Amino acid sequence: MRLMLISCEVLFREMCDAAARSPHQVDVEFLPKGLHDLGGKGMAVEMQRRIDAVPAGKYDAILLGYGLCGNGLHGISARHTMLVLPRAHDCIALLMGSREKHQQYFDEHPGTYYRSTGWLERGKGLQQLTHVTTGIDVTLDQMIEKYGEDNGRYLHEELTRYRSAYTRLTYIATGLEADSRFEEEARWEAAERGWEFERLAGNLVLVHRLVSGDWGGGDFVIAQPGERFRASYDDSIVRIEERA
Amino acid sequence: MPDLQKLYDAVLSGDRNTAVAVTQEAIATGGDPLELISKYMVPAMDEVGRLFECEEYFVPELLLSARAMKGSLELLRPLLAARGAQPVGRVVIGTVKGDLHDIGKNLVASLLEGGGFEVIDFGADVAPEKFIAAVQEKGANIVALSALLTVTMPAMRTTIDALKQAGVRERIKVMVGGAPVTEQFAAEIGADGYSDNASAAVTLARRLTATAVRP
Repeated sequence: MRLMLISCEVLFREMCDAAARSPHQVDVEFLPKGLHDLGGKGMAVEMQRRIDAVPAGKYDAILLGYGLCGNGLHGISARHTMLVLPRAHDCIALLMGSREKHQQYFDEHPGTYYRSTGWLERGKGLQQLTHVTTGIDVTLDQMIEKYGEDNGRYLHEELTRYRSAYTRLTYIATGLEADSRFEEEARWEAAERGWEFERLAGNLVLVHRLVSGDWGGGDFVIAQPGERFRASYDDSIVRIEERA
Repeated sequence: MPDLQKLYDAVLSGDRNTAVAVTQEAIATGGDPLELISKYMVPAMDEVGRLFECEEYFVPELLLSARAMKGSLELLRPLLAARGAQPVGRVVIGTVKGDLHDIGKNLVASLLEGGGFEVIDFGADVAPEKFIAAVQEKGANIVALSALLTVTMPAMRTTIDALKQAGVRERIKVMVGGAPVTEQFAAEIGADGYSDNASAAVTLARRLTATAVRP
């Protein structure tokens, strides 16, 4: 088959590995990881635009290296070529190997920040677009400069308080790392924030199955031309919208 | 009596110190607390909401205006209570079980307070039983649920189901919100209302209260 993979750059190393090993011919396009900061609707518009830019008739399928991603894939439709999407809330499930494993880990470890090679090395991309408006990553000094001493301190406190809800940083190791620098960086970050550190062995089975065309068993959702993805808000995560 | 237009301006621009000072002066000179709220603060917050919707104001500006209004309300609330004034409604609010993201929820809570609601804020990661207890023991007539993750959205359904199980669902209105939440989802899980931003959440709560049982 001839396949077009459109993936978030956060899975850059994992997808490149899978593409290299795929029995099929795979073209790859990576999109900035900051797309999800645009919010579900904004991300979906951009995803649809990129999918629509793929030439009709050139590929047997367009593979999406994403999950539901905060509804960023909700409402995406296949125009001329079928779309294949893993059933996953986000890249963490793709790095852990299954949506069940992700759900279990999420339930057992609330307040966890996740890191992987992509999360550590990939640029902030579009994040600047949203930071201006939400103020979430703005420093105390920047807040004071913009809003004055009193209001600046207040805003900084309000917008960073969520960090105290986090207690753990989990580094998902995929085995594709060239050396130990990623893990060391993650350990340093956990120590810096006063969080517990955990190294979790990742599992790339979903990534490899996506790129090698092994889409059975209910782990992927396939949209044929004319069909559209919908968030299902249950264990299936994503489904095909019924036609009106 | 101070120039009360300054109170309007202070809330609109998020200037807490001025809002508090003008309120103190108004109280000292016999100003009517209800008039301060209904003629100056509520219109100012409505304007804040309008500016937010047309993207002239963003989350920081909303937070600052809510803060200015709260500063003033803290002074006025005891006076209103002494007169036996009732809140517009009693809202219990929290992020659903498993969700620790509370910035949006905090903003909605602040704006609801500013809109004259009594707000019981349970914070983040709130189990359904706590919402049920708030309805049974504290007489909340609106339950407001927030979720930031698609992973935790099913907990909104679970919470509403638990309210039904406990036999309190009919007594209250449920409103839901949070980045990935949609109107369609709200309808699917049987919520009474959905808002896609904090400012519109106040309008929604007012609409729901009009049809709800008063505390």
